[in-house]
Amino acid sequence: MSLYQILFYVFASVAVLAAIRVVTVKNPVHAALYLVLTFFSTALIWILMEAEFLGIVLLLVYVGAVMVLFLFVVMMLDVNIAPLREGFIRNLPVGVFVALVMIIELALILGPASFGLDIYPSPEPAPADAGNTLAIGQVLYTKFVYPFEIAAFILLVAIVAAIALAHRRRPGVHYQDIDAQVRVRAEDRVRIAELDADKTRRGDVAGDSKANQDKETS
Amino acid sequence: MISLSEFLIFGGLLFSISVAGIFLNRKNVLVLLMAIELMLLAVNVNFVAFSHFSGDIDGQAFVFFVLTVAAAEAAIGLAILVTLFRNRRTINVEDLTEMKG
Amino acid sequence: MTLASLNLQPVLPEIVLAAMACLILLVDPFLPKRGPTVSFVLSILTLIALFVITLVQMDDSVRMSFGDMVVNDPMADLMKLVVYVLVAAVFVISRTYLRQRGIDKGEYYMLGLFGVLGMMITISSNHLLLLYLGLELMSLALYAMTAFKRDDGRASEAAMKYFVLGALASGILLYGMSLLYGVTGNLMLTAIAETVAAGEDSMALKAAVVLIVVGAVFKMGIAPFHMWLPDVYEGAPTAVTLYLAAAPKVAALALVMRLLVDGMGPLFYDWQPMLIVVAMLSMAIGNVVAIAQTSFKRMLTYSTIGHVGFILLGVLAGTNEGYAAALFYTIAYAVMTIGGFGIILLLARQGFEAESMDDLKGLNDRSPVMAFVFLLLMFSMAGIPFTFGFWAKLAVLQSIVGVGLWWLATFAVVTAVIGAFYYLRAVKMVYFDKPEDTSPIQADVNVRGVLILSGASMLIFGLYPTGLTALTAGAFGL
Repeated sequence: MSLYQILFYVFASVAVLAAIRVVTVKNPVHAALYLVLTFFSTALIWILMEAEFLGIVLLLVYVGAVMVLFLFVVMMLDVNIAPLREGFIRNLPVGVFVALVMIIELALILGPASFGLDIYPSPEPAPADAGNTLAIGQVLYTKFVYPFEIAAFILLVAIVAAIALAHRRRPGVHYQDIDAQVRVRAEDRVRIAELDADKTRRGDVAGDSKANQDKETS
Repeated sequence: MISLSEFLIFGGLLFSISVAGIFLNRKNVLVLLMAIELMLLAVNVNFVAFSHFSGDIDGQAFVFFVLTVAAAEAAIGLAILVTLFRNRRTINVEDLTEMKG
Repeated sequence: MTLASLNLQPVLPEIVLAAMACLILLVDPFLPKRGPTVSFVLSILTLIALFVITLVQMDDSVRMSFGDMVVNDPMADLMKLVVYVLVAAVFVISRTYLRQRGIDKGEYYMLGLFGVLGMMITISSNHLLLLYLGLELMSLALYAMTAFKRDDGRASEAAMKYFVLGALASGILLYGMSLLYGVTGNLMLTAIAETVAAGEDSMALKAAVVLIVVGAVFKMGIAPFHMWLPDVYEGAPTAVTLYLAAAPKVAALALVMRLLVDGMGPLFYDWQPMLIVVAMLSMAIGNVVAIAQTSFKRMLTYSTIGHVGFILLGVLAGTNEGYAAALFYTIAYAVMTIGGFGIILLLARQGFEAESMDDLKGLNDRSPVMAFVFLLLMFSMAGIPFTFGFWAKLAVLQSIVGVGLWWLATFAVVTAVIGAFYYLRAVKMVYFDKPEDTSPIQADVNVRGVLILSGASMLIFGLYPTGLTALTAGAFGL
């Protein structure tokens, strides 16, 4: 067994075991963390397949952003887990059965008989200076420029939808009002109080403030 | 060396697990969303593997777009989840229909 | 590749729409009070402009662009024109409803327009990636619109179901696409068809067909994957239901046409039996279960399932006549649906949703004109002769009889007769039952206008169907 094979089997088994845990653990936080592990191992498998760019994007975008979003929502919602588990045990036999049937079917379809090494020989390893990022970049901005623009609109729709659905102004919460901050003038914040130098005695503070008030109203 | 078949079966395993996960967690929307992410990952594994073995970069470009869409989808899914939770104080969607994968 | 070689002209409608949607996004926040009205007017103007552009560009040629990724054939042009009209009608009819429920916001129209953009991309795609992106752009907008009434628990629940099932369907569809890519080594639909026609045949290809059909059927809400559809259509605000039920069905037909006919046409004998099964199940379940409904909204939803089964009949005939019949039926269905759900908008008012069958009672006493419109719509849905729906059913049945599927046509007629029962029952309620609610109908001129137009088209296209028949036939080179 070569190092390549050992690495593949290690990453693949970690990914599959973690994936099983994602759908079976009780706590959604743990599920999210197991999903991170699955993504991480899969990213390594992609790098084994010389798809470095996608492997890194998977880590950055998925583990870095999407899964953090998941965790954020899980923590924010403070979900009561117990009722959500109802039916899990009852559905377990069906679920396992479906999964097994699908795995056997897919293994038959995707097995070595139709996708073995003799039919799809292993590609030559790319030379050391081959750039996967360059190759993707070259098609992304030429051949796939139209889908690229559409993807931008999909992200725009996601932004608009997420804001329209989840954003709300709550009374009693203090927001930073940048307009007001920019528009503020010195007079709004600082009041120059003119005090007579000889009257500064501690007991006279009340008189001072009264004098100031008089000045303001005048 | 590893054959294409092994990569595909790895993808198939992830796909089957995600379908089973949708069966098992009909009430827990959070885990449902994660199972859907898992399903898209399985699809991406297929695309990367086919792309690697055929030497055609288009498959990898496809994965790039699927990742983008999946991120957008997760954002909208979680936004809907938040509105649902605000209205119902639970994320339990009762009897989430008859799933027939 | 230079800018000139991109050939942007065929995608001009898409570019204009995207630009206008962005403009609305920018304008809306700066007009806090009049924002929704401005957005509404701009949306309608955009749709009119698109209609003109597409109409001017329309001819019998097939225009490709972006390296053959985008295809504008007569079918695509006709479908786009239909989508513009449907969405404009939905925007007009739902304005008051939205305002009364506090969801008349600029974002609503913007999401609606982005949904149209997604449909247009799906309709004219010749590439698996574009098909997927268009479908997702449309679906994401639809999910958000379903949940748009944020304080309504029912709407959020409907949106959640729609989202989970829709995402699952996309996942299955994508898995099928990945296998198709692996086997044929291509993402371009026409190239895939060539590879398949050259004799490529394997287990994986068959699996790809099965997964793609299941994914597409799931996405369209066809039986046996229809269980989510009634919940979503019922839970969503009625204005959104109108949007969901009308234009996206045109895009769904385009999806099926592009994937199955353009991409996997040579595999016809693999997907035809599957479509026969789902079409039969849809027609049977849609028409039988509708009888048991007490909610008018839910009844119409089941009737949708039945109608979509009929549309599939045209596709599975596998002939150009069949495809033209399917498109004709889709247009008829969409216009009828706008009328059908529009009746709910007509009867609804502030703080009251007229979703129950009982709310229909005695409509004739309250408004004879609207009662007659309702009669026309229901007759058309039931397929009573000399209405729009009759010619649609006839065309589809002729096409499957033409390929020798007599037994399937017989089955379809039986389900249609069963279906006629509950449409006529609704008509009976409108004309012969005493109204429970005698208050005058408050709906404004927008709602009445669209409803009268929709009812009138049942009669106009029922008496003179030849023009539209020629158009749909022309879309498939007949």
